[in-house]
Amino acid sequence: MGAIVLAQEGGGVARRRLMGVALALAIAATLGGFLFAYAPNFFSVRNCLNVLIQGSSLGVMAIGLTFVMIVGGIDLSIPATMAFAAVLGAFVMPVWGIMAGVATMLVSGLAVGAFNGLAVAWFEMTPFVVTLASMTVIGGATVWMTNSQSLSDFPDGFFDLFLSAPAGVPVAVLILAVIAAIATLILSSTAYGRSLYAVGLNAKAARLARAPVEWLLFSTYAISGLLAGVAAVMLTARLGSASANLGSDGVVLDIVTACVVGGVSIYGGAGMATGAVLGALFVTLISNSLNQLGVSYFMTLVVKGIAIILFIWIDRISGRASR
Amino acid sequence: MIGAALEMTGVSKTFAGVSALEDAHLSIQAGEAHALMGANGAGKSTLMNILGGIVAAEGGEIRIAGRVASIASPRDARANGIAFVHQELALLASMSVAENVLIEDLPRRGGLIDPAAMAARTQPLLDRLGCGFGPQDPVEKLGMGDRQMVEIARALASNPSILIFDEPTSSLSAREKARLFDVIRKLKAEGAAIIYVTHFIDEIFEICERVTVMRNGRIVGSGATPDFTPGDIVKLMLGDIHQADRLRVTPAAPGERVLTVDSLSAGGFLDGVSFTLRVGEIVGLWGLLGSGRTEIMRAIIGLDPIDAGAIALRRNGALVPVSPHEAHQSIGFVTEDRRGEGLLLPLSVARNVSFGNMAAVAGRFGLIDRNRERTLATGLVERLKIKLNSVDQPVRTLSGGNQQKVVFSRWLASSPPIFLLDEPTRGLDVGAKSEILALTVQLATAGAAVLIASSELEELMRVCDRYLIVQRGRIIGDLGPDADRDALLAAVSETSASSPTLSSVA
Repeated sequence: MGAIVLAQEGGGVARRRLMGVALALAIAATLGGFLFAYAPNFFSVRNCLNVLIQGSSLGVMAIGLTFVMIVGGIDLSIPATMAFAAVLGAFVMPVWGIMAGVATMLVSGLAVGAFNGLAVAWFEMTPFVVTLASMTVIGGATVWMTNSQSLSDFPDGFFDLFLSAPAGVPVAVLILAVIAAIATLILSSTAYGRSLYAVGLNAKAARLARAPVEWLLFSTYAISGLLAGVAAVMLTARLGSASANLGSDGVVLDIVTACVVGGVSIYGGAGMATGAVLGALFVTLISNSLNQLGVSYFMTLVVKGIAIILFIWIDRISGRASR
Repeated sequence: MIGAALEMTGVSKTFAGVSALEDAHLSIQAGEAHALMGANGAGKSTLMNILGGIVAAEGGEIRIAGRVASIASPRDARANGIAFVHQELALLASMSVAENVLIEDLPRRGGLIDPAAMAARTQPLLDRLGCGFGPQDPVEKLGMGDRQMVEIARALASNPSILIFDEPTSSLSAREKARLFDVIRKLKAEGAAIIYVTHFIDEIFEICERVTVMRNGRIVGSGATPDFTPGDIVKLMLGDIHQADRLRVTPAAPGERVLTVDSLSAGGFLDGVSFTLRVGEIVGLWGLLGSGRTEIMRAIIGLDPIDAGAIALRRNGALVPVSPHEAHQSIGFVTEDRRGEGLLLPLSVARNVSFGNMAAVAGRFGLIDRNRERTLATGLVERLKIKLNSVDQPVRTLSGGNQQKVVFSRWLASSPPIFLLDEPTRGLDVGAKSEILALTVQLATAGAAVLIASSELEELMRVCDRYLIVQRGRIIGDLGPDADRDALLAAVSETSASSPTLSSVA
């Protein structure tokens, strides 16, 4: 009898997960209806491409957070890291060239992530507090370095490279697609990826099965930092400037929303890169469409906040059944 | 006979159709300490939880000082003068002694907590226990023994007539234990009825007037402590140990040494543990619950830190010193906590098996090949006769025995030279137990060295070639394959009485 009951529970989990997808689709469809009636421009190819491009850097950061959340952590410092990396790269690029500038962005992102990882994995500090603190430190340093000014002295080659669209596909979208594909492969089909889920589900059991738990935790923050660096490259290219403002508070909310809407569990052990990407597009779509409908920016914050609460509730009820 | 302080008769309880307590009766007199003993799952906790109002009894009667009492909640228990002194110190470390003692009923004035009244109520309790610390001291500054006193003071705060001590000495030093016993004697002299739950047999002869032994949810013996020998109590606890058929012939010549452990010590739990495992042998780690069996295994593979000691493993024909972390790489460990530590419950059987065996399921470019993963799992499922619908089924939907086989199959796939099995049959039905034991024998026959711990002697006797006797974190003996039931029972009981008790040393 027990087995039968349990099997039904298993079905329940799948059903509740579907509920999340259905809810996201329903919201998107409702919005679509409004847009069709009041802002038909939204459906132009150009605007759709715009949503994709706007969502691409968010998508890359959400993939980074997916790694961290799968092991049961959180990284609030991603936007601050991204702004920090963008600014450092903007200092370097006019002097040492495009490649040096891009490399600076990637390495500085990786370095911040490695610091977070070190603190969480070996010093056993709480991810929430560590990344909140590093967010503050790095955010402060970025403002101080730039005097709150935006830096826009980039070589033309930088824009030529990252704003091009081979075969009509913008480079930003390509980067997102490639990173999403690699992340999906890593998470679903490598020993490393499997170990991440195991740590998130039950760190004790993972350690018993000889998984190097500290290294795994560390690596996810390093990846998250590195992808923040990648997002820095994409965003500076799109905006044409780098400033401390890139990492404004609203971005943290967007990244977390993207992951939660995309089915990445805040309790760890579940989530996919593709989900995070779809979540990022969903968030961008909401911002973009509400904007097109003439809704205030502050109202979009209200909508996103409510979306987070709804999806965390779904995560909660599906998570409760599966453990 | 004068009326008992507490009289429980005909108390029963079933959990999900399984009987946890059957027709239990317990009679405690005022002014005496009554030991309640039993192996894991004997029903002690259920009986005490009924008394504490945490679980509801099905039938039976509880009389307190002669009057029928109905105990439906912890509040009722308190109102009936029953108080618990909990084992692992459920104290709020950052709060003061007084706050901890009075947590269930903080004195208030005008809606705010009244610190003066709090101190005034706590101080007499501390004086009664002879404590050297004050009501305002923070609990985190106190040692284990003093914390235990705070627990007792908390229990005394409701002025109970019946006090239940649950494993009170498990984290105390010898000196602290002596002090605890003085306090218990004083409480007895004041007329309290004390129920003393413990696994340490020597303690009951020191402090308890009467003893009741439980097994499989029943009371199997009860009487004045001096009428029993330690051996009697162990026999009652473990029950009739029928020499079940051995599943294995002990190999004639011992194999080469594959693991040596030398003077392993860890934080008061392990004290100079040394032993050797040889190729193809099954060694039983035999001791009562709380003797340090689990701690020995966990220390060897680095799950718990060690203070001192050396471990060496056979590699390329020679014994090489290794760290516990390195030892873990060559050792398959089956934990006693299958669901909490052994398995990834929401994941499929196939994924549980392949986790830890990633190299075996790697396909092109080192990526996981789902077909190989399923083939590996399917092969082991057939070999171990695991009952399931599909290897894609979440492992949490399997029965306990089949879950345990999944744990084994994970290690089988990588065939480590050494296995540490901690209570591998815990919570399994008789058939599943035999299958797991048969599997253990197969491991040894295939050349692995196996160290197995179990609370059930008859199980060890079916498979073991040798027994290491564990007591209080030490290995106090090594018995050969011809050790019979009585010798093994004597090894864990008589030594505990004949060895000097720790309190008398202090």
